Amino acid sequence: MTPRDDRAASPHPPDPGRPRADAPDGKATVVDCSGLSKSFGGVRALDDASLSASLGEVHALVGENGAGKSTLIKALGGRLRPDAGTIRVNGNPVTLAAPPDAHRLGIWTVFQELTLLPWLSVAENLLIRREPRGRMGLIDRRRTERRAEELLAGFGIAHIDPLALIEDLSLAARQIVEIVRAISHDPEVLLLDEPTSSLVEREVVWLFGQIRRLRGHGTCVIFTSHRWNEIRDIADRITVFRGGRHVGTFREIDQSDAVVLMTGRRVEALYPTLPKLPAPLPALEARAVAGRGVGGVSFTLHAGEVLGVGGLAGHGHRELFLLLFGAQRMTAGTLLAHGQTVRLHSPRDAMRRGVGLALVPEDRKTEGLLLAMSIRDNLTLSILRRITRFGVLRKPRERRLAQDMAARLRVRMPGLSAPVGALSGGNQQKVLIGRWLLAEPRVLLLYDVTRGVDVATKHELYELVMQLAASGHAILLYSSDAEELAHLSHRVLVMREGRIAAEMAAPGITAEAIVAAAVRDTAESEALIKVAVP
Amino acid sequence: MAHSRGVTALVSRDQRRILFAVAAAILLFVIGGLVRPGFASLNSIGAILSIACFVGLVAAGQTFVILIGGVDLSVPWTLNGAAILMMSSAASSNARLPWALLLTLGVGALVGLCNGVGIAVFGVPAVVMTLAMNGVLEGLTLGLSGGLTCPSCAAYAPPLLQAAARGTLLGIPAILFLWLAVIVVASFVLSWTGFGRSAYAIGNNARASFLAGVNVTRTTVILYVLSGLFASLAGIMLLGFGSQASLGLGDPYLFQSIAAVVIGGVYIAGGRGHYVGAVAGAITLVTLVSVLMALNMPEYGRSITYGVIILALLLLYGREADES
Amino acid sequence: MSATTAGAARRPRWSHLLGQNAGLALAAGLLALSIVVYCTIYYLAQRRFPGGFELTTTLNNTMPLVLAGVAQSIVVLTRGIDLSVGGVIDLTNGLAAISLGDSAAGMLAGSLLVLAVGALCGLLNGVLIAYGRLQPIIVTLATLSIYQGIAIRVLPEPGGEVPAAYTAVLANTRGPVSLVYLLLIVAFWACFRRTALGVGLYAVGNDASAAQANGVAVRRTQIAAYVLSGVFAATAGLFMAATSTAGDATTGNGYTLRSIVAVVLGGVNLFGGRGSPVGAVFGALVSAMIVNILFFSQIDPLYQSFFEGLFLVIAVLLTGGISRFMRRGA
Repeated sequence: MTPRDDRAASPHPPDPGRPRADAPDGKATVVDCSGLSKSFGGVRALDDASLSASLGEVHALVGENGAGKSTLIKALGGRLRPDAGTIRVNGNPVTLAAPPDAHRLGIWTVFQELTLLPWLSVAENLLIRREPRGRMGLIDRRRTERRAEELLAGFGIAHIDPLALIEDLSLAARQIVEIVRAISHDPEVLLLDEPTSSLVEREVVWLFGQIRRLRGHGTCVIFTSHRWNEIRDIADRITVFRGGRHVGTFREIDQSDAVVLMTGRRVEALYPTLPKLPAPLPALEARAVAGRGVGGVSFTLHAGEVLGVGGLAGHGHRELFLLLFGAQRMTAGTLLAHGQTVRLHSPRDAMRRGVGLALVPEDRKTEGLLLAMSIRDNLTLSILRRITRFGVLRKPRERRLAQDMAARLRVRMPGLSAPVGALSGGNQQKVLIGRWLLAEPRVLLLYDVTRGVDVATKHELYELVMQLAASGHAILLYSSDAEELAHLSHRVLVMREGRIAAEMAAPGITAEAIVAAAVRDTAESEALIKVAVP
Repeated sequence: MAHSRGVTALVSRDQRRILFAVAAAILLFVIGGLVRPGFASLNSIGAILSIACFVGLVAAGQTFVILIGGVDLSVPWTLNGAAILMMSSAASSNARLPWALLLTLGVGALVGLCNGVGIAVFGVPAVVMTLAMNGVLEGLTLGLSGGLTCPSCAAYAPPLLQAAARGTLLGIPAILFLWLAVIVVASFVLSWTGFGRSAYAIGNNARASFLAGVNVTRTTVILYVLSGLFASLAGIMLLGFGSQASLGLGDPYLFQSIAAVVIGGVYIAGGRGHYVGAVAGAITLVTLVSVLMALNMPEYGRSITYGVIILALLLLYGREADES
Repeated sequence: MSATTAGAARRPRWSHLLGQNAGLALAAGLLALSIVVYCTIYYLAQRRFPGGFELTTTLNNTMPLVLAGVAQSIVVLTRGIDLSVGGVIDLTNGLAAISLGDSAAGMLAGSLLVLAVGALCGLLNGVLIAYGRLQPIIVTLATLSIYQGIAIRVLPEPGGEVPAAYTAVLANTRGPVSLVYLLLIVAFWACFRRTALGVGLYAVGNDASAAQANGVAVRRTQIAAYVLSGVFAATAGLFMAATSTAGDATTGNGYTLRSIVAVVLGGVNLFGGRGSPVGAVFGALVSAMIVNILFFSQIDPLYQSFFEGLFLVIAVLLTGGISRFMRRGA
């Protein structure tokens, strides 16, 4: 898969802007950060980090989750202020207290958490703060809509209705709107944090075409990504981060060398060995289950098996997991747990002894943990029955159970009474998993459990998953990291548009195969972008 | 989050807020005592605490629903309706008291049930549901009692009830024993039961609680039932205190109960706080009003000072954590 | 997803606008329905249709609620709430009764003074909420108390005097002049909605952090919302003074909760970011219609609140369900 230049397909966007002084040959440094440090509670997200990028270059920022890439992008984009260090733009030290400060300097960002306003239209979002004015200096709504239409068309976007509410768009469409908005401001520096996480091939082709155009134009583009072939194809320079620090900047680097730099280990040592599969014993079987965002998914998950689920963000994994857990309504199909048909109307049903499901949800901060409550309270939330007698809490028992679980998972914490919000991402994730382990489930639905978790904790979590499989638990594992999925699963199901697009079995599952199956163009993307793909 | 201040600080921050409220109450008593001798006498304290008790009873229910991020705006007419219902069904007779009590509390629970179902099952915002319920109860109470002109509406509260509300036991106003019982029960429920733990969890993050297997709907409904119960209880005791029910009896208690709860350190968005704080808040508020009256401050001055003091207390320790 | 269906024709513009303004449309529908019911009941009771007199009186009496509803809706759009609306009306009503001079200049000066006071009240609210980082519900609860107190100080007993000419302008009893004021409100909002500040209100209500990332000055926008609320509440106080021709410092007390009802009936989402103050105008008028309907259907007036409360719940349930349906695409 090679992203191709699509300059022929997309005419000049409406805002060509002025050519840069140093483009395209001279590569003047435009952004220079040094000594950046940022801590959240006890966690050092950035530790004396540095980055230097030039005009007219595409600069990739790579590193494990929790290495500080997003934090750096947020600092450059004005979304957070570093505790220490300097950011220089065009040689001058600057203070970026809020995104508008960055905007004034020509730095525009597409953050991982999109900053679109859900109940406003695409047009209103695209042109916010720069709407065309009419009589009496008031915003001209019709001209705004037309301008948005022109903008999208100029970027080669065919089927996003400018009048549509952001709330009604798919994740990929939203990401594209956000990208179009940032680029349409004619940035001097464009920052993209994981821009391709929800984009299929055609959309990635489009994006890279835009990036190349910007580069030719003299813009500096800094982006983060996990996908090595993307980086290889488009990046002029690659900077590796580990543990919040700058480890190295290269014009070219081998993937395995990069992995060593990112993780401190060789690839082979990154993942534990998969336990052997026992005789097949169905733990969870889905027959043509469907719901919002999911259409007709069938699979069988066996005890002792790790079944991986892969694919791009926004393609139904989240909904599938919620559905299986009873947290979302199932509109069609049947679910069988340990051979018995079950109807799950709520997570409580799913947790029942006979079913024994557990879900570690997508976003531990907003869906999983009670950040202001103690570690102990968080750990025991799902086993209130076990720690109460006639409704009254048995605190010594609770403390013991929590203590044991925290010790088993090696949670690094000031004490059980500390609020869980004070822990690092990795330890928070452990607490969340610990909560579910206390509930003694038979089937574990793990959704992106290593997201935002530091390298060391990640290994511990991998070991844990393998142990759980070895001890007979059935595990359904979704990960946004295809490499991780490939190494941790006995089988992998790739989902696309709410359905299973491919199935692979170990040995022989590769990240490339997973990504290839995931990024194949969808009907939506074909309508969305008028790009010729070979 | 503010854990840069140290982990232990965050944990006892809730306790700090309660201490603040208590300190404020004590300070006010001292000021009152300085302004008017005899203000801080035992009798006077007893009287003030008795009045605070009514706010405290309503605040108990309000605490429960505010803890899960809701609010109960139906308190005024639940209280008033309960007082009138109690009066007309007990008809001044001690013999009928138990039945009237059961009936009235039952109706209060029913009101809470309707609120809870509307909010938790049908997704009506708490502000709207309880506001509407308040109107419904006002209409029903006025209509069924003919504007308090019905034959049984001129009854007095049964003597036993009056004694319970106004009498003393061991030299202490009897009603304070009731309040103490409520404090013990409410505190126990919040700190020592799985139900209380679920309530805090829901207030912190309803979605996460749902995904963790907490029965959010059932807990929410029960909390609103409790609020209805406490509001009715307050109405019943107010009937005993004043011997007769009147219209508009419950109006002051809405804003007072919310203010008491917030001053007592309960987060208005839910998830943090304790009833003990609301108790301190109720006492502070009532003491404040009494001090202002002792200062012979005219009504307008009391109103203004009341609002200013609430703002001052909030600015002192009621701020939201900075998001960064 | 209707927004990006491959190959399908685009949804027509009117369909989009209807879906996005579902709340407003439903409020308008609700108003139309209530007018029809009212006219029917009126006819059955009086053997004729309501005429100019009924229109004029109803409008004049409802103007304060209309303005209170607009005030509340502006704040609710930013995900806030303003419980002090009643207090501001108390204060401005009393102030109006004593400061409106007899001459045209005197009336103008008095009105401007009142509006300025309303703005100040709103400013206090806004600053405490935006910079003090206190929750709106409790701040406005406290300032309600403060403004009510000041109101009583300004006008301890109902009284004061409102010049007849003032009443003739604001609450003219000879014709439905109030319709003009309603149009002015709609016109004001149509313009304001198209300013950066207007867009900012919606942005803040949608997602304050995303709004900030988009360059919206969140704190200033919040303060502006409360100041506007104060000004509109003050206008309500002026209209109230004009209608009752005297002042009363407790007359506004019920308006806080009634303004919330108007907002809800007007399809403005209590969680912010969606809806329009024009909806609150409709909502206030619907409230008035309900009162009239109850009156003319000879329902015991004591039961009035019952029906109002019942209606509120039913309206919320119905409009919530219908608006979800409408957004999926006509």
